[in-house]
Amino acid sequence: MNILVCLKQILDPEVPVRDFAIDASGLQADPACANQVTNIFCENALETALQLKDLHGGKITLLTLGPESAEDALRKGLAMKADEAYLILNDTEQLPDSAATAKALAAAIDKLDAFDLILAGRESGDWGAGQTGGLLAEELSLPFTAFVDQISLEGEERLVLRQQTDSGWKSFSSPKPTVASITNSDHNLPRIPKTRDIIMANRKPVTTWSLEELGISQDSFPTQETKARVRQLSIPEAKSDCEFIEGDSVEEKIEKLADKIAAIARAV
Amino acid sequence: MMDHSEATREVLWNISNGWIMYALLVPTAAIGIYGIWKRFQSWKQGLPAEGRLDNPGKRLRFLWQHALLQRRNMRQRFAGIFHAMIFWGFITLTIATTVVMIDHDFGIPIMKGAFYLYFQSLFVDVLGLLALVGVALAGYRRWKTKPTKLVYTDEASMILILVGIILATGFMLEGWRIVATNDPWGAWSPVGYATGIVSAQFFSVETLIQFHLWCWWFHLVLVFGFLAWAPYTKMLHPLTSALNIYAANLEPVGASLKTIDFEKAETFGVNALKQFTWKDLLDLDACTECGRCTDACPANTVGKALSPRDIILDLRGWLHEGADDEFKLIGSTDSLESDRLFECTSCAACVDACPVSIEQLPKIVDMRRFQVMEEAEFPETMQQAVNSLEERQHPYSGSQFSRADWMQELDIPHASETDDAEVLVWAGCGASLVERNQKSIRSLARLLKKAGVKFSVLGRDEKCTGDVARRIGNEFLFESLAKENIDNFKKHKVKKVVTACPHCFNTFRNEYPQLGADFETVHHSAYLGSLINEGRLKITVASERRIAFHDPCYLSRHNNLTEEPRDLLNSTSQVAMTELPRNRQNSFCCGGGGGMSFVDEPSDKRVNHERAREILNTDADTVAVGCPFCTTMMEDGINATKGDRKIEVREISELLDEACNGESNT
Repeated sequence: MNILVCLKQILDPEVPVRDFAIDASGLQADPACANQVTNIFCENALETALQLKDLHGGKITLLTLGPESAEDALRKGLAMKADEAYLILNDTEQLPDSAATAKALAAAIDKLDAFDLILAGRESGDWGAGQTGGLLAEELSLPFTAFVDQISLEGEERLVLRQQTDSGWKSFSSPKPTVASITNSDHNLPRIPKTRDIIMANRKPVTTWSLEELGISQDSFPTQETKARVRQLSIPEAKSDCEFIEGDSVEEKIEKLADKIAAIARAV
Repeated sequence: MMDHSEATREVLWNISNGWIMYALLVPTAAIGIYGIWKRFQSWKQGLPAEGRLDNPGKRLRFLWQHALLQRRNMRQRFAGIFHAMIFWGFITLTIATTVVMIDHDFGIPIMKGAFYLYFQSLFVDVLGLLALVGVALAGYRRWKTKPTKLVYTDEASMILILVGIILATGFMLEGWRIVATNDPWGAWSPVGYATGIVSAQFFSVETLIQFHLWCWWFHLVLVFGFLAWAPYTKMLHPLTSALNIYAANLEPVGASLKTIDFEKAETFGVNALKQFTWKDLLDLDACTECGRCTDACPANTVGKALSPRDIILDLRGWLHEGADDEFKLIGSTDSLESDRLFECTSCAACVDACPVSIEQLPKIVDMRRFQVMEEAEFPETMQQAVNSLEERQHPYSGSQFSRADWMQELDIPHASETDDAEVLVWAGCGASLVERNQKSIRSLARLLKKAGVKFSVLGRDEKCTGDVARRIGNEFLFESLAKENIDNFKKHKVKKVVTACPHCFNTFRNEYPQLGADFETVHHSAYLGSLINEGRLKITVASERRIAFHDPCYLSRHNNLTEEPRDLLNSTSQVAMTELPRNRQNSFCCGGGGGMSFVDEPSDKRVNHERAREILNTDADTVAVGCPFCTTMMEDGINATKGDRKIEVREISELLDEACNGESNT
C-alpha cells in the first residue's frame, strides 16, 4: 500500500508559561521561545501508517509544509522508518491557514505517485483548527474521514476506517484512495526510533520544493488563499483577587459576605 | 637443649615408588592447564578494553590491598574473616610445598634449622589450622545458616568438602609421621603433633605407619584431583579474581561507562558475548558467587527481580557453554530479561560490594544500550523521558516550569552578560523544573550572593547533561546533549562549574572530559564548605536539628565524596549529626537514579520507602540531601512512611541558608 503522511512541525505545546512569547507582529508565537517538535497527532498518523506497512508492506511518503527547520520533523519520521520525505519550503515567515496549507500539500501530492491512503493529524497542537485534512481531501476530490483511530483493509480496493466519536466508534468503508485525519488512541502511540535508524535517517535524501515549483506564487502566499485571518494574539493575564472580610463577630462577617455575594450576583 | 640448626624432616618418608607422584603430575597439569587455557581463549573473544593494564605500580598496590590483604573482602566480618583464614592458610601451604620442592627436588637444602622450625613447622601448622577452622565456618554458613545471597550448588559443597579433607588428611599424615619416626622436632608442629599423640592412644605405631602410607596416596590423589578440577569450577577464582583485581577500574566508579564510536560500531550496546570487552568476560570468571552484589542491590532488596549476581552467573554460564556469535543474551535467562535490566538505579552498590572488582553496572548499561538503541524496547515512561530529552532537552515531560523560573528576582547574570564570574552555577533539570527543588537552588544562589561570589548561569541555555539518557542506555542522545553543552561552555569560556546535582557533577567531572570538555566541576557542598573556610560565609544561627545525611550514590560511591557534605552540615547545627546505618560508600540509593525517577514503581516495592524506614529508625529530625532526585524520592518516601513522626527533608543549601540567615527561606 502506498501511503502519504502529512506532518506538521509546531512550537512545543509544552512550552512553559513563562517562556511563551508572541512575536513582533502580534499575530503568532515567537518561534524562538521554545523548541520545534512534530505535532503529536501527525505522529499518531505516521504510526498508523507504519503499522499498516508492517502488516501489508508498501511505502510511506512524508510531506510537510514549513520552514527549513521542518526538515527535523521529516528526519524523525524517516527514523521511524518512513521511506521518503518531501518538504515544501515556506520561507515567507507567515503561517498559512488550513486552506492555504491544503492547497500547497495538494499541489505537491499531484507531483508524486498515486497514493492509496493519505493521512493527516486530527489537528495541530498550535492552532488546533483541525481543518487541513478535510480541506486537503477537497482539493484532491477524495473521500475524507475525520478522527480515525484505526484503519484496516477490506479486500483489494477498499479500506475500513474507524472513527472515534464521543460515545464510541463508527466504521466507514471507503474506496481507495482516501484521506483520513488521525486521532490518538492506545494503539497508535508513536514508536521510539532505533538509534541506527536515526543515524541512517540523517543520511537519507529529503526533497525540498519551493512554493514556485508547485505553481504557488510566493508573494500571494498565504494571503491570497486565506479566508480566515488572525487579528490579534495575546497571552491571557492570570489575575486573582483576594479580599479578607473584616468584622468583629462571625455574624457580622457573614452578613458582609452575603452582601458581597448579592452585589456580585446583581452585577453578573 | 637440641641444636636447632639440625632440625629438618625426611621428605617422602614411608613412601616408595615416589616416581608415581611425578608421573601423576603430568596428566594433572595437562588437564588443569587445558582448563585455564580454555578460559583465556574465551576472554580473548572480547573487544579491547582500554587502559586496563596500564599503570602497573598502582595496579600491584591495588592487588596487594584487595587480593593479599583481602581489604574489600573483610568488609563483611564473618565471611570476610573465614575466607581470609582459608586464603592465607592456602597461601602459606603453597609456599611450604614450594619449599619442599626446592629442598627435595632441586636439591637446595633450605628446609632446615630455625626456618624449618619457625616457618615450615610452626607457622605452617598454625595457618593450616586456621584454614581448617575457616573451612568449618564456611561449612557452618553454607549448610546451617544458609544466607539467601549464596548460590547453593553441588560444586560449591564439593569444593568445601574436598578442601576440608585435604587439610585434615594433611594433619593426620604429619601427626602419624611424627609418632612413627619419634620426630624430635614434632612439637614444633603442634596440630600435627596433637593429631599424632591422640592417634597413638588408639592404634599401634605399625598400624599408623600403614595408615600413613594409604593416607599419603589418598591425600595426593585428592590434591592432584583438586588441582586438575579447579580450573573448571569457581575455584579458578584465586587466579581469575586476582587478574580481575589487577585489571580493575582505577578511576572513580562514575567514570566506568564506555563511549561508543557511532561511525564504526557494528552494534550499539551488547547482546552477544563477543560484544563485551575481554575485561567484561574476565569479570564473569572472576565471580566467586558470594552474592554480595545482589545483597547490596536496592532493587533486589525491595523485592524486585533484578539480581546483579544472577546476571553475572548467567552470562558466565553462556560463556562456559560456548554460546556462538549469533546467540542473543537479553531474554535468554530470567536474570537477563529486559524488564529486570531496567530496574537498575545505576547506584553502583553492586560494583562497590564486589570483593573482586567485578563491574556489574557497566554491563547492565551495555545491555540497556542494546535494548534502547537497537531494539527501541524499554519501559514506556522511560521512553517519555527520552522523548522529552530529544524534543526539549530535559526529561521532565509535562513540567510547567521554565529553566529561568527559579532565578526570578535574584538578578543573576547570564554567562554571556558577564566576564568576571568566578564560577558558573549549573542548576540542572532536577533543580529548575521541579518546584520543590527550586527552593534549594534559590538557597544556593542566595548563599553565593551573601558570600560575595560573582557567578553566572546559563538559564534557558542549559540542556540536560545527558546523565539520564546515558543511564537509560541512549548513548547517542547522551553524546549529542553532551556535545551541545560542551560547545556552550566553550563559547562562554566557562572554567569552573558549581552544581548541586551529583548526577550533573559526575557527568561533568568524569564523562565530559572523554568528549573533549576542559573545565573544573565542584559539588556545591564542597564549594560552600570552602566559602565557610575562607570566612566568606558565616554561620549566624546554628540550628538544633539532629541531622542525618543521606549520601547520594553519585557523590559517595561514584566519586568518593563523603566528608564535604558532613563538614558543612555539622557546622549548621549545634547538635551532633546522626549517621544512618548505611552511610558513605555503603549508602542506600533513594531509588531515583538510572532513569528510575521517571518510572512508576509498584507501591509495595519502592526503594525510597526502604530507605525512609531506615531513616525513621534513627533519632534524626532532619534528613539532609544533596541531590534533586534524592530530595524528591526521600520526601515522598518519608511522607509515605513517617506517620506522626516529625521529620523534614532538607537540601544542604537550605540548611546552610537557614544557618547563615537565621531564617528558613523560600
